[in-house]
Amino acid sequence: MRTVHVAGAGYTKVSEHWERSLTELAAEAALAAIRDAGVERVDAIYLGNATAEITSHQIGISAIVSEELGLSGVPAIRIECGEASGMAAFVQAHAAVSSGLVEVALVVGAEKLSDLMPEEYNTVYTMTLPHETMGFAGITPAAVAALLYRIYTERYEVPQEFVAQFPVLMHRNAKGVPHAQFPFEVKLEDVLSSPYVAPPLRRLETTAPCDGAAALVLVSGDSLGSVRSGSVTRVGGVSLRTDYVSPFDREDPLFVSSVALSVEEVLLRSGIDRNDVDVLEVHDSFSIMAPLILESAGFAPRGRSGLLLKDGSYDLNGELPINTFGGLKARGHPFGATALYQLAELHLQLTGRAGKNQVEKARSGLAISTSGLGAISGAAVLLGGDGA
Amino acid sequence: MRSGIRPQEHWRAKRFRYRLEVLRCSSCGTVNMTPRRVCRRCRSTSLVPERLPERARLLAFTEVKSTTDIHEETAPYLVGLLEFEDGTRIVAQLTDVDYEELRPGMEMEAVVRKIAQDGESGVIVYGFKFRPVIA
Repeated sequence: MRTVHVAGAGYTKVSEHWERSLTELAAEAALAAIRDAGVERVDAIYLGNATAEITSHQIGISAIVSEELGLSGVPAIRIECGEASGMAAFVQAHAAVSSGLVEVALVVGAEKLSDLMPEEYNTVYTMTLPHETMGFAGITPAAVAALLYRIYTERYEVPQEFVAQFPVLMHRNAKGVPHAQFPFEVKLEDVLSSPYVAPPLRRLETTAPCDGAAALVLVSGDSLGSVRSGSVTRVGGVSLRTDYVSPFDREDPLFVSSVALSVEEVLLRSGIDRNDVDVLEVHDSFSIMAPLILESAGFAPRGRSGLLLKDGSYDLNGELPINTFGGLKARGHPFGATALYQLAELHLQLTGRAGKNQVEKARSGLAISTSGLGAISGAAVLLGGDGA
Repeated sequence: MRSGIRPQEHWRAKRFRYRLEVLRCSSCGTVNMTPRRVCRRCRSTSLVPERLPERARLLAFTEVKSTTDIHEETAPYLVGLLEFEDGTRIVAQLTDVDYEELRPGMEMEAVVRKIAQDGESGVIVYGFKFRPVIA
C-alpha cells in the first residue's frame, strides 16, 4: 500500500444556485481543485452524488461530468451512499491510489437539491430510511431525529438547550465564511423559538435544501514529486461501515455503531488516537446528530457533549474544535458533496489556509460522514505538517 | 416529480402493512420485518412467519409538520416509537388521539387505516397505525 496525499481542494459556495446545473457546479469545484493541486493529468474521476436521477434527470452522470471537464476518455464512476456519497467516493479513490491502480484521482461531490419543491426534498431525504417499513408510512428523517432527541434528553436528563446550542456554534463558525450557505450568527433564543418541524426538533435544528460541489485531488506518494502543489496533506486512513438502517433496530438507538466502528478503524489505520485529533468534522444533519456522533465516536462521554460544548471545548480555540466552517447546519448540506466540504475544510486547516477560522497548530483532522441517521458512516483522517 | 405508489410494490409488502406479519428467526429470536432469506442479525435461514401482537407500549412521539409528496395531504400527523412485549420496536403513525393526550408508556393497539393516496385517481395505501387502548 502506497501513501495517498491530498494535493488540492476546490469548492463552490453552498447556496441555491438557480442559474447553474449539477454538472456546472461539479466542474467549478473540480477545476478549482485541479488548479490548486497543480496537476497536469487526472487518471480517474470518483463522483459522490446521491440524487442526480431525481434532481437532474440523469443517470450515467459521471460521463457528463468528465465531458464537462474536457476529460472524456478518463474512467469516471458515480458513487451513491446517500448523504455519505462523498465520503464513499473518497474511500474508493483512496483505495485506487493506494493500491497502485491510479496515480492521480479526482474526487468530486456534487448535489443540486434547490430545484426541488419542499415536499419533493422531503421525499428524497426520506429515501435514506427503509422505504418498506418507514418511508411508506410517512416516517421522515426529521421524525426519527425528533424521537432520538426525546430519548436522549430524557435518558441523560439534560435540557433541550444542550442539544439546541449545537446549531448556535455552527452558525458562529460560519459567520463571514464566503462558501457557507448561512454565514451569520443565530442566538439560542432564535433556535428555540423557530417553528417546530417535528417536536422537539425545530426548524433551526435542521439543514435546508441547497446546491454545492466540492472536490479534492488525490496523488500517490510515488507521484507527489511531479505535482506543483504547495499545500499537501496525507490521508492517514479511511473507513466506511454500515448498521441496521432504522436506529430503533439497533441495540441502543442513541449509539451509532457505524460511526464508532469507522472512527475506531480509521484511528488504528492512521496510527493516532483521539487525543491527537486537532480538528473534527461531525455530520450534524440534525442538531441531535452532533452529540450522538461525538459520543458514539468516543470524543465525549455519553450524554455529556452538551456540557463540553457549553464549556467551550468545541470552540475554534477550544480543546477539540468541531465543524470549523459551520458544519452541515451553517456551511450547508448538499448530500453527496458534504463529506468533500468536510475534507476540503480539514485540508485548509492542516495547510494553514483557514483564514480567520484557523485552528492553531492543527496537524491532524478527522471527518465523520453519515447517511440516514447512521445507516452508513465513513471516516477519514488527514495529516498535515511533518505528517503530510 | 411525484414519487408515486406502484401497486406491485405495495402488494408485495401487504403482509407487514396489513397484518404486522414478520419473520422471526428461530436461532436468535430477531424479528425481520420484510421478506428475506437470512436473519439480519445471525444469518440463520430458519425464519418463521409470525404476527406481532396488536398491542404495544408508546416510548416516544412527535408530530410531523412537513412531509413527503404522497403524505402531504394528511400532514400534520402524529408518529410514535412503539415497543412490543418481546422488545421489538416499530415506528408508526398514531391515530384517534391528539398530541396533548399522548404520554410515554401508554398502551396502544394497531388498526388498519389509510396511509397515503397517490393523487385523485392513484393507488390508496392502507396499513397499520396505532391508537390508544380504551380501557
